[in-house]
Amino acid sequence: MLNIEHIKQKGYSILQLSGEVDASNSVDLDAAFQEILSEGAKRILVDGSKLEYISSAGLGVFMSYLEEFQEKDIQLVIFGLLEKVHQVFVILGLDKLITLKPNQEEALQAIV
Amino acid sequence: MIRLSSPNIGKVSILVAILTWLSLLFVDITRIFGLLNQLESGVSPEVSFILEITFFIMVYIFFNHSIARNERNEFLNLIWRGASTGLLALGVSLLIRLFYYLLGDSRLATDPLLKNFFYHINFALTTLFLISCTLLWKRLILYQKTKKIVQQWQAFEILLLVSMFFIFFNKNTLDYSFLFGLVFITIFSISLSVNLKWIPYLTFKEKWKSILFLFIILLATSYLFVEVLSYSDSKVILVNLTDNLFLIGLFSFVFFYTLFSFLVTLFNLPTSSVFEQKLVEAINFQRLSQSIKPGQSENQVLDILVDSCMSASYADAGWLELRDEMNASVFFHKRFIDKEDLQKLFDLINDTKPFANFEWEKEDNENKVFQGKIADSLYKSALMVPLVVNQRTIGRIYLLKEVKDGFNKEMVNIISTFVGQACISVENYRLLNEAIKNERYKEELKIAQRVQRSLLPDTLHHDDSFEICGFSIAADEVGGDYYETKKLGDNQFVLIIGDVSGKGTSAAFNMSQMKGIFHSLVQLQPKPSDFLLMANNALSQCLEKNHFITTSYFIIDTEKKTINYSRAGHCPTLYYDHKKKESEYLSIDGMGLGILRNNLYKQYVHEKTFSFFPGDILVLYTDGIVEAKNSKGIEFGYERLKTVVNASATLNVEQIQNKIIQEVYKFIGKNRIADDDYSLMIIKFN
Repeated sequence: MLNIEHIKQKGYSILQLSGEVDASNSVDLDAAFQEILSEGAKRILVDGSKLEYISSAGLGVFMSYLEEFQEKDIQLVIFGLLEKVHQVFVILGLDKLITLKPNQEEALQAIV
Repeated sequence: MIRLSSPNIGKVSILVAILTWLSLLFVDITRIFGLLNQLESGVSPEVSFILEITFFIMVYIFFNHSIARNERNEFLNLIWRGASTGLLALGVSLLIRLFYYLLGDSRLATDPLLKNFFYHINFALTTLFLISCTLLWKRLILYQKTKKIVQQWQAFEILLLVSMFFIFFNKNTLDYSFLFGLVFITIFSISLSVNLKWIPYLTFKEKWKSILFLFIILLATSYLFVEVLSYSDSKVILVNLTDNLFLIGLFSFVFFYTLFSFLVTLFNLPTSSVFEQKLVEAINFQRLSQSIKPGQSENQVLDILVDSCMSASYADAGWLELRDEMNASVFFHKRFIDKEDLQKLFDLINDTKPFANFEWEKEDNENKVFQGKIADSLYKSALMVPLVVNQRTIGRIYLLKEVKDGFNKEMVNIISTFVGQACISVENYRLLNEAIKNERYKEELKIAQRVQRSLLPDTLHHDDSFEICGFSIAADEVGGDYYETKKLGDNQFVLIIGDVSGKGTSAAFNMSQMKGIFHSLVQLQPKPSDFLLMANNALSQCLEKNHFITTSYFIIDTEKKTINYSRAGHCPTLYYDHKKKESEYLSIDGMGLGILRNNLYKQYVHEKTFSFFPGDILVLYTDGIVEAKNSKGIEFGYERLKTVVNASATLNVEQIQNKIIQEVYKFIGKNRIADDDYSLMIIKFN
C-alpha cells in the first residue's frame, strides 16, 4: 500500500509518502512526480518518514528524474527516511546524487 | 427355501393358473356328471372357491410380474395392452353368443356341459382382462407417486385380497354385506381414480389414440359385466364363480378409472398444445444453457435463440441485429422475412422509434424488453430485446407480429429468460476462449522460464583452493537475478552477482542483457572497476531510463591468494574471517549501473584488494534474502544473515547455503519468499 499526499507550500512542494513502494505502485509515484513537474515546481521535498519500504522499481522512479531535474534546475531533497530505507539509498549510491536529510528543517535549509 | 429367479415366477404362475383353471373345469364337470346321473359327487362348492382364489392370485402374480418387467412401457403401450386384452375377452364372449345363436333351439344349445365349459372360458378371460387392467392402472396411478399414494394403493390391494375370501362368508347371495363391500371398494376406486398425472405428458396425437383405447376398455368392461350378470340367475351354472366380490369390485375399479381417464383426456385435448409448447420451451432453454461445445460458435447459440423466441411468441417474423467493430448493424438469422423487407422495416423502426429510451451505450440494458407498435401494412406489433454480454450490448433481437399487442406477459417473460440464458452461454464461451488464450501465455512464460534458467550457470568455475555453490529462485515465472563465474588464465577466477531492478519479464530481459555484457567484457580481462565503468556505459545505451542493475564483481587470484573487487550498488558482500571467527560486510562505495549515464559515473567507482586465508568464507547474495519479511513486517536483515554465517562457518558450502535458506524460511514462516527474486553464492577457501 502506498499513499501519496501532495502538500503545496510557499515556494516548495512536499510529497508525503506513506506505506511501501513496490513494482505494482511505482507508477503512482511516477504520476505524482509528473503532476508536480507539470505545475512547474522548482523545489521538491519528499517526506519519507512514513515510508516503510522501497523496492528497486521505486528507486528507479527517483533515478529516472535525476537528469531532468538537473537540466531544469529543480531541487529534490528527501528527508526523514527510516534507517533501513536510508540504507537502501546508500547501498545503491543514490545518496551521492540525491540530497538526503534527517528532518524537514534541515531539508528546507538545503533547498534555500 | 429355494429362491426362484425372476423369469421363473412368470412361467410358474401362469402354469399354476392354467392348472387351477383346468381343475376348476374338471371339478365342475364332475359335479355335472353327478347331477345327471343322480349321484352325489361329494364335491362341495368350497373346493371351487379355493381353486378360484388360487386362480385369481396366480393371474395377479403373473401380470404383476410381466408388467413390472417391461420397465420402459410407455403410457400408450400400457393402455393398448389393456384394450387388446379387453378386445380378446369381448371377442370370445361375442363368438360364444354367436355360436349359441347359430345353434338355435337344437339339443346342443341346452347341453349343460357345453354351457359350463363356455362359462369357464368367459370367466377366465374376464378375470385376465380385469386383473391385467387393474395392474396397468396401478402403473398409471403410481406415476409420479408420493408416499401417500403408495400407501393408499397398498391398502386397496389388501382390500382386494380380503374381498376374494368374502365368498366363504356370504355363499354367493346378494345380501347387504355384499352390497356394502361393493360400495366400499367403489368409493376406494373413485378416490384412487383422481391420480391422472400421466395424461398431460401425452402428445396431442397420443391423446386421441388413448381416448380410442380407453373407449374400447369401457365397452369391454360394460359388456362383460352385463354378460357376467346374466349368468347369475342361470340354473345351469352349478357354482357361480363370477358373482365374487373381488371380480365385481375389479369391474367397478377398472370401469371408474377408465371412465375418469377417458373424460380427463378428452377435456385435456384443447389445452394439450399449451403443455406441449411449455415442454418445447423447457427443452429450448436447456439447449441454450448448454455451454457451447468445442468447434461450435456463438452463432449456433444465437440461431437456437431466435428459433426459441419465435416459437415461444408465435412471431410472424424475426431477426438478430449485431454490431460489428465499426458499430454498424449487421443482420443475422432472418426468419420469414427477406433482406429488402428487413431493411425497410429496420429503417421504419429507426424513423418512428417505437422503442424509446433504448441506447446502445447504456449499461442497464440487461434483462430489458422493449415493446412497441409499428406503422407497417403487414406487421402491427414489435418486440425488441437487447443482448448484453459482459455488460456490453452486443446486439438486439427483433420479433414482429401481424396482430396488434401480439406479445403477452408470459411470452415476454419467457423470451427475456431465453435471451438472458443465451447471453450467459455466449459470455461463458468468450470466457473460455479467454482462458485458453491465457493458458497459451502461461505456456509461453514456462518457455521463458526454461530459457532463463539456462542463462544461470550449471557449473561454477573453481580450483582446489576454494569451493563454491550457488542458487537462484524467481518470485514470478522469470526473474532478474544473475550470477556467474569465469576462469581467467590458470589461477584467476571472476565471480559476478547482479540484481536487475523491478521483477518479472522486464527484469528477465535486462538480466539477459547483463549476461551478454559480462561475457563480452570479461574477455578483455578488465579490472573490477574497469568492468563496472564499461558495463555502465553499455547499459546506459540499453536500459530504460527508470531501470538499473546492481552488481558486485570479484577477481580471485588463487596464486597470490588475493581478492580484488568492486561494487555497483549491490548489497554489501559478507566476508567471514576464519582467524577472527567473525564475519563483516565488505565496505566499499559504489553506485548501481545505469543510474548515472555519463562520465561522472567514474568518480563513484572504487576497487579494493585484500588477501584471503584458508577457512574464510565469501557470501554473495541479492536483496531478496535480507529484505525477506515475516508476517509482522520485520525484515530478515543483515544482522541475522551475519549470525547464521558465523554459526555455520565450519560447514561446507552446500551446507552453509542450505542453512541460510532454512533460517530465512524459518524466519518468514513460509517455504518461499513471495515477493522478490533471491539468489545466493557461497565461496569457501581451503
